[in-house]
Amino acid sequence: MQSDKSFDKESPLNVILLAVVLCVVCSLVVSTAAVGLRSLQDANVLLDKRANILSVAGFEDVASGDVNEVFGKRFTVELIDMTTGLPAASEAMEAMKKAGKEYSGEEETIAKYDQIWASKSKKPSISDPTDDATLIKYREKFSHVYVLKSEDGSSVEKYVFPVRGYGLWSMMKGYLAVEPDLQEIAGLTFYEHGETPGLGGEIKSERFKSQWPGKQIYGEDGEVAVRVIKAAPKDDYSIDALSGATITSTGVSNMMKYWMGPEGFGPYIEQKKDGETETAQTTMTKSGDQDNG
Amino acid sequence: MGKSNKDLIMDPVFDNNPIALQVLGICSALAVTTQLSTSFVMAIAVTIVTGCSSAAIAAIRDRIPSSIRIIVQMTIIASLVILVDLVLKAFAFKLSQELSVFVGLIITNCIVMGRAEGFAMKNNVKDSFMDGIGNGLGYGLILLIVGFFRELFGSGKLFGQIVLPLKADGGWYEPNGLMLLSPSAFFIIGFFIWALRTWKPDQIESA
Repeated sequence: MQSDKSFDKESPLNVILLAVVLCVVCSLVVSTAAVGLRSLQDANVLLDKRANILSVAGFEDVASGDVNEVFGKRFTVELIDMTTGLPAASEAMEAMKKAGKEYSGEEETIAKYDQIWASKSKKPSISDPTDDATLIKYREKFSHVYVLKSEDGSSVEKYVFPVRGYGLWSMMKGYLAVEPDLQEIAGLTFYEHGETPGLGGEIKSERFKSQWPGKQIYGEDGEVAVRVIKAAPKDDYSIDALSGATITSTGVSNMMKYWMGPEGFGPYIEQKKDGETETAQTTMTKSGDQDNG
Repeated sequence: MGKSNKDLIMDPVFDNNPIALQVLGICSALAVTTQLSTSFVMAIAVTIVTGCSSAAIAAIRDRIPSSIRIIVQMTIIASLVILVDLVLKAFAFKLSQELSVFVGLIITNCIVMGRAEGFAMKNNVKDSFMDGIGNGLGYGLILLIVGFFRELFGSGKLFGQIVLPLKADGGWYEPNGLMLLSPSAFFIIGFFIWALRTWKPDQIESA
């Protein structure tokens, strides 16, 4: 060990100097990397979201290069007001402006609106407090709904709703795909969670996911009936819980109840169901004009 | 010290394995080894972090006051771990999601801290780097072995490719669910330590 006699590394001055220099260097390195890689990461996140929407809607094995194209071709993205269930892109634009984010038009609002950000911002123009069991604490006022249209664009094949709720460790974020009758589930997938790998993390496993298609959302009384419970009976509403992950399973159950209920997409679903009966009536007189999106 | 590069790298793999002999870093060895691909990425991540952090700490070891040495080591390790996490998120998004919090938890992996405090504070940059890489590899070897058995017997796959067709998919293999749970990693690590100490009896601690 060669150490300079005149240099005392234990002196308070050196302690402070080293700490400061180290912190500056480390933070520079980390922030440079964070800023430099941000755009790549954001693109990955968006791509992953879209890939998840595609997979939950039943598209299998779309190569990652084709995801954006297929998504753009088949999906219509709606931005709705959660309380009324009606499309509200311009209202959302106004509300976001109040919250400090400006978009140039409705199209950009739909493309760039981030509902997770909106709920986290806790700003009154774009989020409402809630004390629901999903523990989201604030629910955004506006939400995306992804509508899968048939090849020729004439009819709706599936609705995909963003859902989320707290599990054991983390906010689990996913998508719920529903058949056009808005009663039968087509699939549930999670794109982000921090549950224990091998236990709660199994919400992403095929075994768990494969239980969802075909289940009915609402019971005969009109309430949300689909649930995740242990030793699930073989009926149209019950999903078998994950073993060793009770709290995660309950979280998924709460999530369904909330997002399909009146505070969640309930109004939107009502709206669509009403619209459907109306269109059904009008189609009897006027043929095939189903433009209710 | 005067060990050759080969010794520095190979010693921690078999003779002084951080998991098998020092029994460090068990937590993440249980958590990420249900699949080979995550084990593999984790092994690389830990190897890079131990190597680079040891080298960085060795480079400034003569300037680190002993009163704040642990926090200095932590700062360097934490920065490197965040860097690795950011790079994974940018270039291997799927894997980084599967590893979730465990990349971040490399910060608390005792192996990294152990090498920084135990070796890098006393040795030169090159030796410390080699030692860090060696320990990362020793850790990675166990991860890969555990991951191999857990993925093969737990889900009939290796690196996601079907090896043993499952009964559920029309094959013949009934997967062993225990293999997907953490205790199985303990068993496999136990068997590995047993095998290693039968091969190298001098690793047996006197009772």
